[in-house]
Amino acid sequence: MIANAAGKLPTVAPQTSESRALRAEGITKHYTTSEGTITAVDSVSLDVAPGEFLAVIGPSGCGKSTLFNIIGGLVDGYEGRVSVAGETVAGPHASIGMVFQEESTFPWRTVVENVAFPLEIARVSRAERLERARHFISLVGLEGFERRYPAELSGGMRQRVAIARTLAFEPKILLMDEPFAALDEQTRLLLGDKVLQIQQQLKQTTLLITHNITEAVQLADRILVMTYRPGRVKRFVKIDLPRPRSSEIVSSEAFGRYVAKIWSDLREEASRGMQDEETCKRQSGGDGA
Amino acid sequence: MTRDRVLPAALGLGTFTAFILAAEALIRLGFVNRFIVPLPSQVAGAFARVVAEEHVVARFFMTAGEALVAGLLLTAVGISLGALLYRVALLRAACETWIAAMASAPIVLMYPLFLVIFGRSAWTIIMIGFMAGLPPVILKTIEGFAGTRQVLVNVGRSFNLTRGQQFVKILFPAALPTIFVGLRLGLIFALINIVGVEFLINFGGLGQLINDLAERYDLPGTYVAICFVILVSVVFFEVTGRIERWLRPAE
Amino acid sequence: MAATGGIGRAVSGPALAHPVTLVRIAIVAALLLAWEALSQSGWLFRDVVPSLWKIGGALGDLLSSRDYWWHLGWTGFEVGAALLIGGLSGLLAGLVLGGSRFLGRAFEPFLYYLGPTPKIIFFPVMIMWFGVGPGSKIALGAISCFFPVVLSTAAGIRQIDLVLIRVGRSFRANAWQMALKVYLPAMRHPVINGLRLGLGIAIIGTLLAETKLSSRGIGFMIIQAYATFAMPRMYALLITLFVLAIGANALVGRLGGVGKRA
Repeated sequence: MIANAAGKLPTVAPQTSESRALRAEGITKHYTTSEGTITAVDSVSLDVAPGEFLAVIGPSGCGKSTLFNIIGGLVDGYEGRVSVAGETVAGPHASIGMVFQEESTFPWRTVVENVAFPLEIARVSRAERLERARHFISLVGLEGFERRYPAELSGGMRQRVAIARTLAFEPKILLMDEPFAALDEQTRLLLGDKVLQIQQQLKQTTLLITHNITEAVQLADRILVMTYRPGRVKRFVKIDLPRPRSSEIVSSEAFGRYVAKIWSDLREEASRGMQDEETCKRQSGGDGA
Repeated sequence: MTRDRVLPAALGLGTFTAFILAAEALIRLGFVNRFIVPLPSQVAGAFARVVAEEHVVARFFMTAGEALVAGLLLTAVGISLGALLYRVALLRAACETWIAAMASAPIVLMYPLFLVIFGRSAWTIIMIGFMAGLPPVILKTIEGFAGTRQVLVNVGRSFNLTRGQQFVKILFPAALPTIFVGLRLGLIFALINIVGVEFLINFGGLGQLINDLAERYDLPGTYVAICFVILVSVVFFEVTGRIERWLRPAE
Repeated sequence: MAATGGIGRAVSGPALAHPVTLVRIAIVAALLLAWEALSQSGWLFRDVVPSLWKIGGALGDLLSSRDYWWHLGWTGFEVGAALLIGGLSGLLAGLVLGGSRFLGRAFEPFLYYLGPTPKIIFFPVMIMWFGVGPGSKIALGAISCFFPVVLSTAAGIRQIDLVLIRVGRSFRANAWQMALKVYLPAMRHPVINGLRLGLGIAIIGTLLAETKLSSRGIGFMIIQAYATFAMPRMYALLITLFVLAIGANALVGRLGGVGKRA
């Protein structure tokens, strides 16, 4: 299984094994539902080098979020192995920080209390954690909002709070599951710039799960394209766009070529997903009537 | 799927049965005084007697009749007041918090006052039920109208509906599920208070039955009557709940 | 529709808050005037609608009598004990039922169906179990209070946004930290709301029991006023009772920060 997965791997030559910050080998996960067993993820293997930005892209239902939860150590009962710098991950790992797709700020905490949360869990003293929280709040550009509650902020600002909170955990590896999914296109682009800027500044190893091609090409060094159910590795694509990048790059010709290339890969999978969904709806509609 | 439901239900019923059996055993063995807690078997045996001798059916219809009248009053008055408050924004701004506060006031404790006004009659009971159920009906009616999605209202305007048509064709149907939620809550409050006041003033249907039997120190009979009231509440609760779900569009 | 929105917005602004205040004053004044007119007209049976001055006088007498405070003390004690017993057991049972899907499915239907029955019907049984003194009133109040608390606590656990639990776990919070910093704050609104409902219903249960059979408490005073046909006194009692009940409700809501909507 592992050999098989490794065989699919290199479109891009991997780094030497010591330099891998994060490694997943032959990850397979089945779910049992009332209609039988579904394979969400099928023998997915990937490597992320230190400081590298890897984006995982695929249509809805390709098991991206399952992969995210497995790597983050929130789901068990899978086959394969996840390791951080060679050490096998079981349960949430101290080197991995997660940013979730859903609204995940604590509504009962102010911005600064939200960002200080992981420090509070780690029993950092009050004065120090407030100070460090302030630093990360300014990093995401939310100075002046420290005392506000999430309900008083916009969706994009709340997601920045969530990102700052995860950064305050000072993870070696940043794991993000469609962090901009709920935002509008402009906010998404601008927030993408912000994330990229921080990522470069902190030399943060990053794994981004997304279904948005523009976002993936704008941000990533490398893109892993996944197939629709079961989620397998379809292809790795290296993005050779100059750094530092900003959202202005979306209008460049090279950018367009990458988007077209990935879309041609993804189109097949997405349309398979769409057909599947339609049959599902037809069947359930028939059952209901 | 089915196992998920059957096992817990079995545990629930099993515990209930075990509880009854344990009570029976404890009383028989003399750990619990049988003049304070009657034997469950005695209670079961008293069912037929109470139904036959205490006019349970007639009492049920009496209570149901009171609830029906209170319900009609609630529907007529509550929904009209709700619609009025929705239409006149200033009035709504002035009164909505008052009505919400009324919902938390112990209205049923006004029953001695109603006794003075209406005497020991069904009207005292009906009016208490009506008053107790009124706040949720008004509040939910306002909420229903106010919660109508603006796009539906705009659709109506784009078809040049008159204000009347707008109300009948758009606002009212859109608000109906929420209004019914309020009506159901109001009816439940009304029923609780109707049975309660029947018991307290010793007049009318099922509530009086409990008081009667307790005053005669008919222990098994009292328990039977309590079971009847619970049964009626459960049936009422369940039936109105089904109607509510049926009215709510699939989401 | 646009006009409605406009007024709604104007109302919330401090500069234009006046119209609402004026309408409120007008409504209260109209009601009081109508009451006084009805009272003076003598259309209704004497004293069913006593003059406002009489009610005011009775209210003054009531509040300055030591008797009233003594009865209020008893009622307060009974309601407090009922809230403590019913609320605490409701909270614990709610945590168990909400925490376990299995136990919830097994036992919640019973609670769900017993919830909307009139609790006062258990009073004869409570008298037999706990006697005619404060015990039976506390028991009835506690039973009344138990149901809303247990149901809303159980629902409160279930409504916790699962992503918040994942956030807590991803930062490696231990079980204690999870309970204290995630679960508890995430379910505070429904729990406080349940306690609020429970308090209101405990007041009703306790006082109704007092009106039925007792020798002390506000409920007893109300039924005594009825028996001696002291209508102004009954109105005065009901007014103080409503003020206390609504005030206590608002206080519990304020304590839980329900106003600060999340």
